[in-house]
Amino acid sequence: MRKMTLIALTLAGSSIVALTGFVLAKDESKDALPPGSISRAEGLQAWKRIEAVVTHPRCANCHVDAKAVPIWTPAGESKSRVHGMNIHGGKSRTGVETVPCTTCHVTSTLPNPPAPAPLHAGIDWQLAPVEFIWFGKSGAEICAQLKDPKRNGGRDAAGLLQHLRHDASLSGFIPRAWEAGGRSTPPGTFEDHVKDMARWGAAGQPCPG
Amino acid sequence: MLELTVNGTRHQVDVVPEMPLLWVLRDELGITSPKYGCGIAQCGACTVQIDGAAVRSCQARMADVAGKAITTIEAVGNGKLHPVQEAWIEHQVPQCGYCQTGQMIQAISLLKAIPKPTDEDINEVMSGNLCRCGTYERIRVAIHAAAAKMGGK
Repeated sequence: MRKMTLIALTLAGSSIVALTGFVLAKDESKDALPPGSISRAEGLQAWKRIEAVVTHPRCANCHVDAKAVPIWTPAGESKSRVHGMNIHGGKSRTGVETVPCTTCHVTSTLPNPPAPAPLHAGIDWQLAPVEFIWFGKSGAEICAQLKDPKRNGGRDAAGLLQHLRHDASLSGFIPRAWEAGGRSTPPGTFEDHVKDMARWGAAGQPCPG
Repeated sequence: MLELTVNGTRHQVDVVPEMPLLWVLRDELGITSPKYGCGIAQCGACTVQIDGAAVRSCQARMADVAGKAITTIEAVGNGKLHPVQEAWIEHQVPQCGYCQTGQMIQAISLLKAIPKPTDEDINEVMSGNLCRCGTYERIRVAIHAAAAKMGGK
């Protein structure tokens, strides 16, 4: 009887996991627009808005090169500077070789405290992978990189939308760029950004230049 | 009620989930070794271990640490002095002492990651722990001494 109950519970658990996956996939697919439904010109307009987001300090400051030194743009300032305290993310990009990012950027789904307290996220704090460099790059360079599966984590346009939704489901870094404890935030909202990414994707991911 | 384990003892505390761990330790449990310095993770005086990792307790909120194991300086040696504490005494590191519990917890974390640190390693890892008395030179000497005691010769 106990074995039967265990099997039933296991099957029920699997069904819930499968159902959750289905619901998540369905929810994520709601964002995508039919390919070709957006003109190239409209796609480029969407890209201009995306560019303003991905080059904003809240988004670019942890997308740094192999030196792995994160960038600070403190509240009330527009000039960027290197992160204080000799912090670097190391090869791991999480700082585990010296001082883990999570020493101060504690993993939390609670709202961020006001600046200058460090930002938090529901995902362990870390730098973006080294091939995803945004800081110091032009919009055209980031555009080419963002649509290149070799430099975007192997994602197509739909995959990029799923990435945004997945990150948001974990109270991750992306939506929190707009909840920055009083620091400046990228233009628009997270939902605007998702819509722009969908439009850019449906237009065939056009890049300027 | 939220539950946490501090130095091996389970506690239940009736606090809001947003309360920083530092407040819980000092005001609810009377454990005053972690110090309030800045409240924004800029000084390191509040550093404790959470599940073995050094964390600024002013930034960890109660909801983030419920159910986790917290260790303060009193228990890092499991009933005796930790080699870092021994080295701190031998080299008479503290002056006023306010930042020193955080310094030692961070030093323990450093020696876990880098058993035989160079001066440069020490500068890197300890730069987030400030000491207004300027005991940095003695901190560095004590870390080298602790590394030798722990076998990282």
